[in-house]
Amino acid sequence: MATLLLGVVFIMGFLTFNVLFLIWLERKVAGHIQRRPGPMEVGPHGALQTVADMLKLLSKQLFTPVAADRYTYLLAPVLVFMPTLCVASLIPVGDAAAFAEMPYGLIVITALSGLTVISIFMAGWSSNNKYAVLGGLRSVAQVVAYEIPVLLSALSVVLIAQTLDLQQLGDTRSWPHLFGLPLPYVVVEPVAAVIFLIGITAETNRAPFDIPEAESELVGGFHTEYSGMRFAMFFFAEYTNMMVLGALGATLFLGGWRGPLLPGWLWIILKSYAVIVVMMWARWTFPRLRFDQLMSFAWKLLIPLALANLVATALVLGAIA
Amino acid sequence: MKAVLRVARGIRSLLVGLGITGRHFVRPIVTLQYPHQRPDVTHWGGPIELVTFPETGTHDCIACNACARICPSDCFEIEGKRPEGARKMRATKLLIDFSTCSLCGLCIDVCPTDTLQYSKRYDDAAFHRVQTVNDLLVPFGEDPYLTGKLK
Repeated sequence: MATLLLGVVFIMGFLTFNVLFLIWLERKVAGHIQRRPGPMEVGPHGALQTVADMLKLLSKQLFTPVAADRYTYLLAPVLVFMPTLCVASLIPVGDAAAFAEMPYGLIVITALSGLTVISIFMAGWSSNNKYAVLGGLRSVAQVVAYEIPVLLSALSVVLIAQTLDLQQLGDTRSWPHLFGLPLPYVVVEPVAAVIFLIGITAETNRAPFDIPEAESELVGGFHTEYSGMRFAMFFFAEYTNMMVLGALGATLFLGGWRGPLLPGWLWIILKSYAVIVVMMWARWTFPRLRFDQLMSFAWKLLIPLALANLVATALVLGAIA
Repeated sequence: MKAVLRVARGIRSLLVGLGITGRHFVRPIVTLQYPHQRPDVTHWGGPIELVTFPETGTHDCIACNACARICPSDCFEIEGKRPEGARKMRATKLLIDFSTCSLCGLCIDVCPTDTLQYSKRYDDAAFHRVQTVNDLLVPFGEDPYLTGKLK
């Protein structure tokens, strides 16, 4: 029990700090892509800018629309963070270290990460605002569509590894070998890795898949009516989700916590950041897709491609066996 | 086949886009951190100011009123005094109301002693209209001709 509590405290602490860092990183990446320095004023190279923003959000007035469905409205920003936290505890960070161990970890993770969308929909629906409802609906449609290719691409890794346990996925003996050298799964499953990256970008509602919160059409989408710290919770959940799904991607495709010299927990963090930087890079490169483009991209291209990749993996594995 | 080609073209264009932003990411920044770094203004005609001549170390305004007469916006207010034993007058009061000045430059052209010029200032600001009146003699302090230091 004590270790469990400690684990929760540790994960919460790390994720909070991490969100502050990621928002700063996002703004720096955005700045440098646009040939400007990004935040520079608060702290060295603007490192404390997000702390200042956080304090501002904490001190802002909380509004509840009169016609809102009060309890759902208040519950949504609290709930949005829960699944992400559960998923975070399942990511293995070392040989025998994950805060919670599950023999079917991958299934649990995919099930839980699909839950985030329910709180997003709760937020959109209970706000009693047309833009918020539209944002929530879009989010549901999008996450349902993109969950499938994410799962399928993860499955093709599972097919090779023959395990759903994330701990065993990091075991080099289950990795594909070339001349006796273990290779991370990204080498043998590059298509699945790309599909997974696209899928998690869509699942975290980030540009170019950010139509649920599309500023130019929906004001702020599902979080239009939220202010102050409640809004910050959605922001917080988005970046935490990014971190966790990035870590999942690193575990599945980049060899998890395995790496020379540095300790395991540092490797998994570095690899997750690498995934996240690619997501940020994409965000500041591509324009937002239209809703029908987004849907046809998922159903007509990504899902068939992921399925074909899965079948091809199975056939190759069968031929080897 | 056509669809596959279209997808391939699409992927290629996405990669090209990533390449462009990636290149710009590693290039040096082009913006200025404004209050800390100030732009180097060379081609800029700011509020009118008096020229400091290096020979005398001061301006050469003789309060002839030529600028006040030609000014289309009537923004000058000039008074002058003749130093003892001197031939030329010296300005004792030279105000320009910048809120009405249109920076047309006629005063600069008409000045017989060429002692008016555009300044390089670009960030003059005020909260009240009276604060927009520039006293051009302030930077010069005491007039060396009027105090008899220069003849």
